[in-house]
Amino acid sequence: MSGTNPAFRVNGRPVPLGEVPGDEVLLDTLRWRLGLRGTKEGCRSGGCGACTVLVDGRGRLSCLSLTRELEGTEVTTIEGASDDPVGRVVQDAFLEEVAFQCGYCTPGFVMAVTGVLREGGRLASTAELLRHLGGNLCRCTGYVAIARAVERARERLP
Amino acid sequence: MAPVEMVTPATEAEALAELRRGPPEEVAIVAGGTDLILDLEERRLSPRRLLSLRRLPWHDHRWDDGRLTIGSAEPLASLEADPEVGRQYPALAQAIAAVGGPALRRQATVGGNLGRSAPASDLTPVLLVLDAEAELLGPAGARALPVDRFLRASRETTLEAHELIRSVRLPEPRPSSAYLWQRVRPANDISQVGVAAAYGAADRRWRLSLGGAPPRPVLVPEAAAELHGPRPKPAEVEAAALALSSHPALVSDRRASDEHRRRIASVLCLRALEAAVDRPAEVP
Repeated sequence: MSGTNPAFRVNGRPVPLGEVPGDEVLLDTLRWRLGLRGTKEGCRSGGCGACTVLVDGRGRLSCLSLTRELEGTEVTTIEGASDDPVGRVVQDAFLEEVAFQCGYCTPGFVMAVTGVLREGGRLASTAELLRHLGGNLCRCTGYVAIARAVERARERLP
Repeated sequence: MAPVEMVTPATEAEALAELRRGPPEEVAIVAGGTDLILDLEERRLSPRRLLSLRRLPWHDHRWDDGRLTIGSAEPLASLEADPEVGRQYPALAQAIAAVGGPALRRQATVGGNLGRSAPASDLTPVLLVLDAEAELLGPAGARALPVDRFLRASRETTLEAHELIRSVRLPEPRPSSAYLWQRVRPANDISQVGVAAAYGAADRRWRLSLGGAPPRPVLVPEAAAELHGPRPKPAEVEAAALALSSHPALVSDRRASDEHRRRIASVLCLRALEAAVDRPAEVP
């Protein structure tokens, strides 16, 4: 059954999960239990991508993930993005292209782009990469700059 | 109120035993969780225990002479990654690509989609035209039920309290199949109308289904009956589209009007049949 000392790692740091109720979602664990407020709450129903984090290196909606289901995984949030070589490149590209206005969707976009670029995105066309971002919304209509940032990041992949 | 417990059985026997521990309303089953969580958050469901399928060996699919069996807890993304799915069951690949965004598809499962009987499911119309069967595991063993009989209404199935969905089986390859949908926004939205079409090589009959409209996706046999043979004539296709778009399920609700749904259903039916016929079935 459940491990005796359930835990996962967040940005490299071990986090015990024994006190976390079964119905708590990762978004709340990150923001309210661990104080990592960089991950944003948008629609809270899987429709906007603002809460995207990486779980074992792949993009995941933290609002629709039960924390206890993630025992044994490695979670990376926007606070840990710059420790990831790909995440660093993506952050720089977003800055250089000024790929945000209000910035609320940005952490989710940075994590989603990092996830897809880590999965062999170097070989993908820009159109394919953008298709992988279909779950992320920007209400300031900043998609053109975001697309430019994605392209710039891909060209500079480590 | 005591915190909700998460239980993660490692074997089928443990999972079934867990289901029988206490009243059925106290337990909710978690496959991917993407749809269940919304009900937990809104307190439409208040289980005391969550039964996770995460450790059960139900996370992959297997091929048997072109027939596909899908583990009920397999994420949609792992089906999406197998190009054989698109070759043998194009409609299924198209429906999977229509579910949420990529991150959601790494979690959402076929079993969860069925078990939750989502009214606007994109997968269900396709499972119907593929004659999919749900394999249910209970204390007395396993039984198989056609998806059409498994689903009762929106959020209602014939799954018994002490049963789990173990797999979903597709009885024969259907390369002549297609699924098309209409939405307000193409990415990450809910379909207003979905139309699935598939030709069965064994019985030489077409199946047509409608989704997106309440209360649940339905087969429309009177529309499919207009079609004859693997390459139906244009007049037959038009008659099928007319019959499909006259279905009483195409009602008005907050997502679309009945008139809009009828027009869209007709166009989608014509296009789905065109796409399905363009991929002629391999005659055995």
